[in-house]
Order: sequence, then C-alpha cells, then structure tokens
Amino acid sequence: MNRLPVAGSLAEPLHAVGARFDAPEALIAAVNGLRAAGYEAVDCYTPYPVHGLPEAMRLTKSLLSFLVLGGAVTAIGLALTMQLVPSALIYPLIVDGKPVDFSGLPQYVPITVALTLMLGALAAVTGMILLGGMPRLNHPMLAWDLFAKDASRGFFLAVRAAGGDFSAADAAELLLRLGGGDVTAIHLEEEPK
Amino acid sequence: MPTTGNSPDLSALERPPQVLNNRGPLWVTDAVCSIVEGKTPLWWYAAITVSGGFAAAGLACILYMIVTGVGVWGSDSPAFWAWDITNFIFWVSMAHAGSFISAVLFLTRQKWSLSVSRSAEAMTVFAIICAGVYPAIHIGRVWFVWFLFPVPNNYGMWPNFSSPLLWDVFAVSSYLTVSSLFWFAGMIPDLAVLRDRATTKIRKFCYGIAALGWLGTARQWRHYESMYVLLAGLTSVLVVTVTTIVASDCATSVVPGWHATIFPFYFMVGAVYSGSATVLTLLIPLRALYPQLKDLITPAQLEKVAMLLLMMASCVGYVYVYELFCAWYSGNGFERGAFWERFHGTAAWYAVTCLTINLTVPQLFWFKAVRRCLPLVFALAILCNVGMWFERFMIVTTSLLHDFLPSSWGNFHPSIVDILTATGTLGIFFTLYLLFIRFVPVMSMNELKAALPGAQPELGEGH
Repeated sequence: MNRLPVAGSLAEPLHAVGARFDAPEALIAAVNGLRAAGYEAVDCYTPYPVHGLPEAMRLTKSLLSFLVLGGAVTAIGLALTMQLVPSALIYPLIVDGKPVDFSGLPQYVPITVALTLMLGALAAVTGMILLGGMPRLNHPMLAWDLFAKDASRGFFLAVRAAGGDFSAADAAELLLRLGGGDVTAIHLEEEPK
Repeated sequence: MPTTGNSPDLSALERPPQVLNNRGPLWVTDAVCSIVEGKTPLWWYAAITVSGGFAAAGLACILYMIVTGVGVWGSDSPAFWAWDITNFIFWVSMAHAGSFISAVLFLTRQKWSLSVSRSAEAMTVFAIICAGVYPAIHIGRVWFVWFLFPVPNNYGMWPNFSSPLLWDVFAVSSYLTVSSLFWFAGMIPDLAVLRDRATTKIRKFCYGIAALGWLGTARQWRHYESMYVLLAGLTSVLVVTVTTIVASDCATSVVPGWHATIFPFYFMVGAVYSGSATVLTLLIPLRALYPQLKDLITPAQLEKVAMLLLMMASCVGYVYVYELFCAWYSGNGFERGAFWERFHGTAAWYAVTCLTINLTVPQLFWFKAVRRCLPLVFALAILCNVGMWFERFMIVTTSLLHDFLPSSWGNFHPSIVDILTATGTLGIFFTLYLLFIRFVPVMSMNELKAALPGAQPELGEGH
C-alpha cells in the first residue's frame, strides 16, 4: 500500500516514476529540482520543443550536422567518381569538343550538387531517427495509460529507476513536492534485463 | 522595444496573431486531428471520384501510348517537344513554391507560413510526382529508361554527363527525395499524436508504424530541431538549383527563344509565382470546407501568399519585357524572327493569352480589397495558373515551331491522348491531395503549438 497519492504500486521492477505538468515552466523547474536532488536519469516528454529544456537537462548539441556534412562530402566524392570515371576513362563521350576530364569539371557540378543535397537530406533524416532512438515499436512509457492516450496534452516527466540507491517512494515524493500531477509508477511490460 | 510614455502608437505595426480567437494548444490539436478522425464527408467521396476518374483516364492514355508509340501524341516535326515537356516544366515549377514557403520562409523566421507550409510541402511532393510522369514516357521506348542512369551494362555505354537532360534526371529525382523526406520528417511528431489518439486497432497500427515510435522526448526534439534546420537549408538550395537545371534544358540549346542567360531566373520566379497560386487554390477551399481551420489559416496569411504571388508575377512580367527588348537589341535576325513569330504566327494566341493573363491578373493583388476577398483570390489564382501553363507552352513549343528552316515551320495540334494525359496529371495531383487531407494532419501541430503565445517559458531577451 502506498502512503503517497501515487497511482500504481511502487514495487519493483519499475521503469520509472512519471508525473505530468501543466506548463513548460513547471517542467523546467522540476528538472532543475530533480537535478539538485541528484537525480540524473530524467526523461522529459513534450508536445513541442520547449526552449530552455535541453539546457536544463544538460543535453549536448545534436551531432546531426556532422552526419549531414559526412553524407554531403561522401556524395561529392561519389558523384565526381560516378561522372569522371566513365567520362574520362571508360567511355569518353566527346560532344562539341568539350573536355571530359578534370578540365571539364564545371559540367559535372549540377549532378554533384543534386546528389550532395540528396545524400545530405538522407543523412539528416536517418540520423534524426537513429539518434532519437527510433524506430521502435513499443516503449515502457506507453504502458502508462494517461501518457499513451494524451501525450500531446501535457508536459510529462519520468524519473527512471536507474542506479542502486533509487527509491521509487523518494522520487514520487519529490515529484509531488515539485508540483507534479498524476504521479504514477510505470512498470516494465517486458522482462527486466 | 522602447516603452516610454510619449512613444508613438505602435499597435499598427503589431504582427497579426498566428492563431485567431486566442485558441489554446488543445484546441489546435483537436481542430487539426478532427479532419482525420471525423467521418469522411460526402464531398470528399464526390471529389475523389472525379479526380480519380481523370487520373485513371490519364494512366490509361499513358498505357495506350506505351503500347502504341509516341505517334499517338500531337508532337510532330518541328515541335518534338510539346505537351509532354510543357507539362513537365509546368508541374516541376509549381513544386518550387512549396519548398520556398516551407524552407526559405522557415529559415527567415516568417512565422505566418507555419500553417500553410505542410500543405505547400504536400503540393511540392505531388507536383513532382505529376512532373515525373512525363520525362520517362516522353522518351518513347519506356523500357529503355534505364539508359538515363549510369548503370554498368554489357554495351559498355554510359550517359552523357555534360547534357542538361541528364542533369535533369538527377535534379528531379533528388528534388523528389529531399522534399518527400522534408515533408515526412516534419510530420513524424504529428503522426505520433494521431497514433496516441487513435481509437481503432488498424489506425493505431498504421499511425504507429508511420510515427516510427516518436515519443517527444527532449533528446528527440533536440535532434529533430537540428534536422529541420538542416533540411530547410538543403531544400532552400534546391529551390534555386532544380529550376536552374530545368531552365538549362532550354537555355543551353541554340534554339532562338530558348537560348537566353536569363532563363534560370525566369523559370524560378515563374515557378514560385505559379506555386503560390496553387497554394491559394488549395487552401481557400480547404478552410471553407473545414470551418475549424478558419482560425488557423487566417486571411492575413493568405494575403501574404498573395503578396508573394504579386512579387513573383512582377518579376515574370519584367522578364517578358526584357526578353522582347533583348530580341530587338541583339540585332540577330533569328532571335528577332522567333519573337516576331511568337506574336504573329499561327500559334500567336498562346503567347497573347500568356502575356495578357500574367501581366494583368496578378497586378490586381496590389489592392488590399482584392487580396482580402477570398473567393476572388481563388478565382484569380486559378487564372494565374492557366496563364503560367500558357507561358510554359509558349516557351517550349512555340519556340520550336519556328526553327531555322522556314519550310518546316508548322503548328501544333494536341491529340486527345495529349489532352487526357494532361488532365490525368491534374487528376493524380488532386487525388493525392485529397488523400493527404483525409489521412494526415494538414498542418504542423507541433510548430503551431510552439508558436502560440505563452507556449515557451520566459527566458528573457533574445528568445
């Protein structure tokens, strides 16, 4: 039996203790409060990107721009190889006396630009998906009914049950003190690892 | 902003609100999702029957053309490029306004474009699909289309990489890829909202797969925002490069009427002009049919699109005058002859229609009363696109009709297959658009909610 007004049993195995906040300011304040109390494994779920939240959570800058740069540079190399090797070596196709080797480089620019943009965009989207931990079919958070049905209606926070000295009761109490509503114990659906 | 006691009244300079009637985030979600979640309206079935019918007729004509040969088209010497390339350029150009609105206006922080950008991106993707119908089939023997790609083959033969026609293949395929990615990736968080709200198992499964397991964690949003800026940057470059390459198809040839250095600019401004007209054509009925969108697609935003259209149309008008001036000033008999024939020959009515519409109709948008009268804007926008179709025809076909050999000068008469294929692409476009409004959120809920007053915590200056 819980003494605290918390939904669900606080018994192990637990994924996290979740809470709902009504405003982005309250969410950021709660993140700061949790960090001050030593909780590091905090996840926030918001319906739109909230300014200041990544800073509060000490998230590092996204690496995505480097992936896009990598994709773009790879594309430049591939595009030039694809055009120059056939044109200059395998099958020189001389039209209007135009040079086909390196001295005719400008004519290879349009295709190179097109492929650079294409691979850059592919890197951006696949990078966003993979860095964001996607694609995945399920998530322990979706076992929390309120979150699964209404994630777009509030600002959710989950303190993950990480570390040896994690106490669900302490986390729940702190979340209540920080103004969290609907504080809930979220259980792992699958077997704990 | 200074707020001293005797400062002038600045209320006139205030930006109009993004969402009218002080609607909150929950209302925005419900309003946008209700289109997808509600019962399918009767008009939707009627509309998709008509557009699907045209699309089917168009596809049947394409099949007929493939099994019979390009002789079923009206294209004949000297105009071997006629309706096929006219329609290709018409559609691929229209696509550019969507990228312009969603990418360039996003990077320049034009908040008013938020509620129009998703539809504009959808228009981009569907217009490129319609454009993509033509290049493959106009080669005649469709089964040789793989010759366009540098595939190692046992003939030891490779494509000509210095040809703008090959650049086109890469430009258009990369444009389709990038704009589809931009459109889909921007939709992932909104698809997750639909997944969470889904009431039936099938919907939950489909939207669940499409949303890729999006949860909206702070980390996901961090990468997402980074991706969005990067994609907007890449797409903005495409706005310029794709039309430039398409314009090179004409400009690098020696045909009088095509061989002009202003062509890339000419095609680009025409592109954004016709695309803005299409955005208006699509959004005005959309907000009339779904009244809940009236607070989200505001008259002030549509007015901005109309202004964009006016600006681009004025650039187009400038190019018309410039082209005529250059033809005269060049002193080149062939160049002068081509433009003389454009307005006096057998095909003169195409050019006259084009210039009459494009030089006059958009200029009406100088008047606020016109821009604010939505039924009128709708009608004028359709007329603008008619004008742009004639412009594409004037550039592509009438230039060819009057080539260097007077004995081969002729006229072009579209065959019924030409006409049904063209209306077929219209059918494909509207069928895809109808499916779009029925099955995915028509505007970016997350961007709209993030831009609502009070959505972001107060962080002081600079935010």
